Amino acid sequence: MTDCGCDKAKAELEEYLHNELAKADAADIAEHIANCDDCTGEAHVGIVLTQAVQRACKETAPEVLRDQVLLSLRALQANH
Amino acid sequence: MSTSKDDPTAPAETETPVVDVRTLFEEQAIPYMDQLYAAGLRMTRNPADAADLVQETFVKAFAAFAQFQQGTNLKAWLYRILTNTFINNYRKKQRDPYQGTIDDLEDWQLGGAESVTQGRSARSAEAEAIDHLPDSAVKDALQAIPEDFRMAVYFADVEGFSYQEIADIMKTPVGTVMSRLHRGRRLLRDLLSEYALERGINTSGTRAQPATVGRPKK
Repeated sequence: MTDCGCDKAKAELEEYLHNELAKADAADIAEHIANCDDCTGEAHVGIVLTQAVQRACKETAPEVLRDQVLLSLRALQANH
Repeated sequence: MSTSKDDPTAPAETETPVVDVRTLFEEQAIPYMDQLYAAGLRMTRNPADAADLVQETFVKAFAAFAQFQQGTNLKAWLYRILTNTFINNYRKKQRDPYQGTIDDLEDWQLGGAESVTQGRSARSAEAEAIDHLPDSAVKDALQAIPEDFRMAVYFADVEGFSYQEIADIMKTPVGTVMSRLHRGRRLLRDLLSEYALERGINTSGTRAQPATVGRPKK
């Protein structure tokens, strides 16, 4: 009962974490992860990595840019 | 026949107020500016180029807005324009020019393909360390990995695009998207773990010896 799907889970972990698996496959992986410390650890690293990237990539466009874009749209429309 | 609505000849139905195109565009597309700017920063790696890229993207998108099919994915459409504009106008003037496709390289040629950590406690320490890294370290690591990998990671992890959507944006097969995403995340993970190790960021609450900053020997 111990090695019942580690290879499959590891191979498909990225697709699992990115919601790319069909429901049944995703359920298999979720069940395996729930019962396997090793795969739980891998999944956790994967999730934390995604969160770290999300945090680091939060940006606010400069106000100047916003104003410039709105101005260009106005100018473009006036020319049409 | 008291109101024009009852008059079958009145063009009431077809005359629904023509929504001003610019207003519509401003309402629908402009809210994506922060996100497009963030993606532009990851692509161009500098704020001035990122701003120009976003400006150009919106101008092009506005000009082509009539071709956009309402009800389809506007965000993906904008990202396609952003990506095309970047490739056509900016990639060539990158300080660190595009090396061409790296999709065909073997993992060992990229380095860092082997899992650094084995075992449960090492993994949970690794997760903890990545979780505590400053944003600047994560940005640096993203900048350090090949562009195609970096953008696949960005599109999947930050924007939550599906593999198919990323394939459309990057004009590449889904299999290539998978490979770029896996390898990009693998490289990123290794860089971040390495960084954490060097800085002595660990989970035990103590700081390991900082990497020697090297006071000049005299």
